[in-house]
Amino acid sequence: MRQLPVGLYQPADSVIHRLSGSAKLLCMLLLLIGVVNTTTLPGYGIWVLLTALLIRLARISPGTALGSAVRLKWFFGVILFMNLCFYQPEDPWVRWWIFSPSYAGLIQGIQVVARVFLLLAMSNVLMVSTAPLVMTDAMERLLSPLRLIGVPAGLIAMILSVAIQFIPTLFEETDNIRKAQTARGARFDSPRLWDKAKAVLPLLVPVFLAAFKRADELSMAMEARGYRGDTQSRKKKYPPFQTADWLALLLCAAVAAAFVMIR
Amino acid sequence: MPVELRKVSYTYAPGTPYAAPALKELSLTVGDGEFVGVMGRTGCGKSTLIQLIAGLAAPSDGQIFLDGENINERQFDRNLLRQKVGVVFQFPEIQLFETTVQKDVAFGLKYLDRSREQKEAAVRQALEWMGFDYEAVRNRSPLGFSGGEKRRLAIAGVLAVMPKFLILDEPLAGLDPLGRDAFLELLRKLNQGGMTIVMISHDADALAEYADRIVILKDGMLFKDGPAAQVFSDYKGLEANGTGAGQVSGIAERLRLRGWEIPAGTIRYRRLLDEIAGRWTQ
Ligand SMILES: Nc1ncnc2c1ncn2[C@@H]1O[C@H](COP(=O)(O)OP(=O)(O)O)[C@@H](O)[C@H]1O
Ligand SMILES: [Mg+2]
Repeated sequence: MRQLPVGLYQPADSVIHRLSGSAKLLCMLLLLIGVVNTTTLPGYGIWVLLTALLIRLARISPGTALGSAVRLKWFFGVILFMNLCFYQPEDPWVRWWIFSPSYAGLIQGIQVVARVFLLLAMSNVLMVSTAPLVMTDAMERLLSPLRLIGVPAGLIAMILSVAIQFIPTLFEETDNIRKAQTARGARFDSPRLWDKAKAVLPLLVPVFLAAFKRADELSMAMEARGYRGDTQSRKKKYPPFQTADWLALLLCAAVAAAFVMIR
Repeated sequence: MPVELRKVSYTYAPGTPYAAPALKELSLTVGDGEFVGVMGRTGCGKSTLIQLIAGLAAPSDGQIFLDGENINERQFDRNLLRQKVGVVFQFPEIQLFETTVQKDVAFGLKYLDRSREQKEAAVRQALEWMGFDYEAVRNRSPLGFSGGEKRRLAIAGVLAVMPKFLILDEPLAGLDPLGRDAFLELLRKLNQGGMTIVMISHDADALAEYADRIVILKDGMLFKDGPAAQVFSDYKGLEANGTGAGQVSGIAERLRLRGWEIPAGTIRYRRLLDEIAGRWTQ
């Protein structure tokens, strides 16, 4: 595993790292509202600049921040193609067989790709700059008002935290299994697509088996240590927001509001 | 077919706060037909070494040669490497996935140019080596076996290919004493048949008994490399390194402190018994 898993927390001392988890999560939501309300190309240009600024501020290398988005290049290609050819069949440039590419389709495709790309990049900044435990705490905090209407916030946070902690383990396990099968002759690294497809089964079956086994072991270990799923009694004291947190929220809210208004 | 590492370095997650140098300018040559034991404390880079030799990761720096060919050159035939070098990973039981034992053990033979009969014979042989009754297990699901049996099945899957170079990462951990001895005897037999073996183990007694040469790593560098009798004779050095020199060397050392003249290089059980028995008859 030369490369780190996508979104793995990387400790550093930056403005973004120092923000409280819940403030960051809220900021992220605000920015997303802004992104989905953007409808013009210059608007997306601004978002690209803002995202670049975020990456700079968090002191993350562009490769780390954009890695997951870049890996989806084929997915983006397909999305763009589908939108281009099928979005608006009434008014196409040309018509050929089932394909009818149109200007509206092109714009729509670019828009969808831009949104997903920005979303991935921003959530990556969030993940990389926030320790997993801080993250689940933040989720629990934001969900806790919902307790009043009977939503088990603690339980949800626990599920999320277990899931998040599973990711690196599963990643490592997948890597181990891939290596073991490669050594046995599975051709993951073959340039031939058919070889690659055949190598999927030897990878997926053991990964799923391992995941279920781990989940089973973990649930037994949790039960053995007395976990019963109700954390109602555990009233947590959360630290109050700092000036920086309020400032960040204010900025993000302003940006989001601006994009919603000019829509 | 010798394997040669020239000043090989490897760093995990380079350029991030998680960067971990696992091997540092390691040079090592393993010749044809050797039985090499690799030791070292957890985290010293043993598993990383294996992955590099098996071509599953490319060194950050330095070169690795198999039969004189650089295995990380573009034109090098990876499939040939996979065929020549067999790897038994730590906890190999995770690699089982097929619907039947027969298919799983035969997985590595899939791309090899052998007849159906040859392949079946290889699977039968490998399963029997690992202590299974071929006819009884061939159509069972490999997932329905116990943990220890799964491990033996997985090892059979590696042996079925009859690699010329076999690497094992702590294969003895978790084997029962009988299974351990039987497995070591099998390795000796394969080695005598010409297979080069590199075995990682914390079991100094097993290595003293079966390996000709011992390599000890420390912090990603070579700490010791030499004939087993010589390396294990440095009882104090090994104990200080936390590797351990095995029980036989320990007893020999104690007896020497009591004034017995046990020759250096007494690392095997039978030799020690002979020494002690010889004294009684005098
Ligand atoms: N996947 C990985 N990511 C980051 N660091 C790793 C990884 N695997 C191993 N390391 C580090 O590399 C070093 C050597 O590990 P390894 O080769 O597994 O040692 P050994 O097998 O001797 O116990 C250790 O310090 C370990 O922390
Ligand atoms: Mg290891």
